[in-house]
Amino acid sequence: MSGTRARARAVPAVFAASALVLAGCGAEGASDSGEWSPQQPIEITAPADTGGGWDTLARTSSRIMEDAGLVDQSVQVVNKPGGGGAIGWSYIANNAGDPHKLFVTSPPILFVPLAGESDYDHSDFTPISRLATEYMTYLVPADSPMDTFDDLVGELEDDPGAVSVAGGSAPGSMDHVALAGAADAAGVDAGELNYVAFDGGGEATTALLGGHVDAAVSGAGESMELIEAGEVKALAVSAPERVGVLPDVPTLTELGVDFTFDIWRGVMGPPDMSQEEISYYESVFAEMMEQDSWKEESSKLGWTDTYQDSAEFEAFLDEKHTEFVDILDEVGLQ
Amino acid sequence: MDTLTQLVSGFSVALSPENLLFVFVGVLAGTIIGILPGLGPMTAIALMIPIAFGMDPTTAIIMLAGVYYGAVFGGSTSSILLNAPGIAGTVATSFDGYPMARDGRAGKALAVAAIASFVGGTVGVVGLMLIAPTLSKVAVSFGPAEYFGLMVLGLTAVVSLAGKNVTKGLISAVVGVIIALVGIDSATGTLRFTFDRPELYEGIDFLIVALGVFALAEVFVLLSRRGHGGAQGGVTSLRLSKREVRAMTPSALRGSVLGFFTGVLPGAGATVASFLSYSTEKRIASDGDTFGSGNIKGVAAPEAGNNGAAIGSFVPLLTLGVPGSGTTAILLGALLVLGVQPGPMMLEQHPGVFWGVVASMYIGSIVLLILNLPLIPLFAKVLNTPKAVLLPLVVVFCVMGVYGLSFSVFDLWLLIGFGVLGFLMRANSFPAAPLILGLILGGLMERNMRQALQISGGDWSVFVTQPIPAVLLGLAAASLLPTVIGLIRRRRERADREREVPAA
Amino acid sequence: MTEFRFSHRTIAVAIAGFALVYLLGAYHLPDFVAVDVPVQPATLPRGLGYLLLGLAAMLYFQRAEQAEEGTATGETATEQPAEADEVGLGRLRDTRLELAVFLVAACLYVALFAVAGFVLATAAYIASAVWYLGYPRHLVTVLTSVTIPLAAYIGMSEGLGVSLPNGPLPF
Repeated sequence: MSGTRARARAVPAVFAASALVLAGCGAEGASDSGEWSPQQPIEITAPADTGGGWDTLARTSSRIMEDAGLVDQSVQVVNKPGGGGAIGWSYIANNAGDPHKLFVTSPPILFVPLAGESDYDHSDFTPISRLATEYMTYLVPADSPMDTFDDLVGELEDDPGAVSVAGGSAPGSMDHVALAGAADAAGVDAGELNYVAFDGGGEATTALLGGHVDAAVSGAGESMELIEAGEVKALAVSAPERVGVLPDVPTLTELGVDFTFDIWRGVMGPPDMSQEEISYYESVFAEMMEQDSWKEESSKLGWTDTYQDSAEFEAFLDEKHTEFVDILDEVGLQ
Repeated sequence: MDTLTQLVSGFSVALSPENLLFVFVGVLAGTIIGILPGLGPMTAIALMIPIAFGMDPTTAIIMLAGVYYGAVFGGSTSSILLNAPGIAGTVATSFDGYPMARDGRAGKALAVAAIASFVGGTVGVVGLMLIAPTLSKVAVSFGPAEYFGLMVLGLTAVVSLAGKNVTKGLISAVVGVIIALVGIDSATGTLRFTFDRPELYEGIDFLIVALGVFALAEVFVLLSRRGHGGAQGGVTSLRLSKREVRAMTPSALRGSVLGFFTGVLPGAGATVASFLSYSTEKRIASDGDTFGSGNIKGVAAPEAGNNGAAIGSFVPLLTLGVPGSGTTAILLGALLVLGVQPGPMMLEQHPGVFWGVVASMYIGSIVLLILNLPLIPLFAKVLNTPKAVLLPLVVVFCVMGVYGLSFSVFDLWLLIGFGVLGFLMRANSFPAAPLILGLILGGLMERNMRQALQISGGDWSVFVTQPIPAVLLGLAAASLLPTVIGLIRRRRERADREREVPAA
Repeated sequence: MTEFRFSHRTIAVAIAGFALVYLLGAYHLPDFVAVDVPVQPATLPRGLGYLLLGLAAMLYFQRAEQAEEGTATGETATEQPAEADEVGLGRLRDTRLELAVFLVAACLYVALFAVAGFVLATAAYIASAVWYLGYPRHLVTVLTSVTIPLAAYIGMSEGLGVSLPNGPLPF
């Protein structure tokens, strides 16, 4: 990573030189006119390996932004895997004030710091836009005696430990909180749940298909095909209103359980970005989401577009943070 | 009969000029990326996805699948020539492949690997075609308790991989498991032995360890011998004698079948498959004790195994829509974006895609074989490079591969550390294979054991009351018996001898 | 290699020392109490620590067996006599020093990898290592150390989209 630091040192020199040239031509950097535009290639960091969800989002956005000509500069994707995101976040945090370094993000930016596994949390970065959301589904095997979410709640009330529920992340992280929050809202003791952590949603769903666990929580995108094929039953979805790809699955709120859970995806930047820089990116991402290619891909992935600008996104993050702290408290993990 | 008609229509899809071209492009790119140490099919597919976007979905999948099994195919080359595994699935190939190269039989080793890969791929495709829908039930029948049994069975191979000194072999294996446990414990989210380094939170990548203890350690060993005793160039004949073909055929076939079924299990994958094939073959082969010193069966079995598994992992992917490995997870992501939702309904909704992919795999296997066989003499020529040039280059390739994997200089330090560890192990006759085995299977064993116990509420009887885990654990115990008996007998004989010596 | 061969007792003591440190670490792992888990995160590490300790003890009391030389898996009995040294690599008589030099070179390479960038660090490393190991054709050395890093860099960044550190070089 010190390499990128070295590059960061070298870049201002080049930048300064080109700015000089530009200034000579009278095409001065736009800062005094109240507008800002990038002066060098934009870097979108995926704080994960190539191929994961963050990487997909980063590469999809970069491709659409370039193809549609939304930016004058090229958009490069950089992978900084490690620490469940922590490595990538510290890389961005170390580039405070460089408005050309963005990163893609989702709920782990709230959960990983809460677990004490990252020195930086959402408040250390500049929220730019929330883009899309996917919702959690609560699943049971096709041959399960449980048919409705109420049945599940009933079983859990009888003996919370006797119902094993699989999820694709460690206790205290996404899938567990989506389960605990719903259970808590339904009046079940969330601390007594028998949550079985698997390595990724795919493994959790596989365990459910084989009947090795009684229930599972999984993202709607991952489970929609299995639901449609009748291999699993979806008892509820964590959305505020019914989801297009799963029209027959009731929401938790419909069922009288006051809980929603978003697997949102968004874009953030380094600390200390100026208002001009934020507005520039806000409009770029808003435009990107207007592109047909974005709409097509996001619906194929089971996402719902839920754009928020920087200010809304920031408020949303703070609200979710408080909510998660409460749930983790309830479970006994905080 | 229905299958046959479907297959014929599949071939008509796969044989269109465009699809043929992209099968070729895919397997070629896969082979090249597979040869580079460190970079594996996962990176290869992720990087080809942007190219795939503009294509017809079937063509795109055909190409991406080609990248995947092409990489598995190509990974063996650097395992054999440089002792630097190209991908995780070909680590076991270096156990016998590199000793063969050291004896000046690099050409033969590469030919055996290519043919065994072809056999593995072909057996896999036949399996995929004939029994995929039925197998999806088998795939999910394995839960945590079953995987625990499988991993324990795999771990018992330590005693057969340990060589003469079982104590040293066991120490290696324990160290391997210790390395596997570094990182965030997935069952509880607890940090274990990470020393507050975020770089260690996700654990130590298996390939860093493998490149260190095999490739870098070998560089150190060669230096300490002043460049003598490494892989020999010169003799690059790849022609196999009738006897060799007869020796490798059963191993390759057994490896293919075992590999395919292991690949079908979403929790196992090509790496586990290659180890299982290797250790099974070592146990049942009449000349099993020469494994590790350049036995062609020891190249044929894991190569057939990992290629069979690569195809096998398409069963849960295509029939259930659940990815069995990191690689198939990426493929799944790509398929979704391309508008093909794999899963139980795929055979009905997109039969053209399914059968086109199956048919393209037949073609891809053949393309790989005819692409690779002529290249073998060329690859083997690498070994003619003077050692003074070759050794630094091996270091560079390992460094480049590890960096391309994680983009982290910290991992490069780990690589060097494992190189030193591997050298010290070699110097003191500690075998490296059990360490790798412990590293791969140890972490999986712990995780599955804890998941199984979490589900059962802490009741240990799940491992013996369920049929599959009970059988697997029974097999594990049975496979240890001969070794234990052998050890006791040897000890007794030695004691007898010692008693006789003073008497005489 | 023989310079690095230690007696079973020395190795056993070293392993036991490592096992003790590891056990200490394992006992410092917190128990997970928030959710009821049947197996604690520290359970297996503790078991492994004791197992390693036991194995070290077994090794301590084992006689060195010459027969086991080079027969372990992954090792063939192709030790060659060191006298046939016509193309012997390196410059120092003492193999230990020689290896130390090579190790330091590799460490320098890694240390410079990010700072100087892939191309410069690799070129410097290849050139110096090849020269030091005694390869006589210096022109080939220079050509290799320039073309290989450049080709690898371009191949990785353009062909595969994997960006290697570029250091002070402008591309």
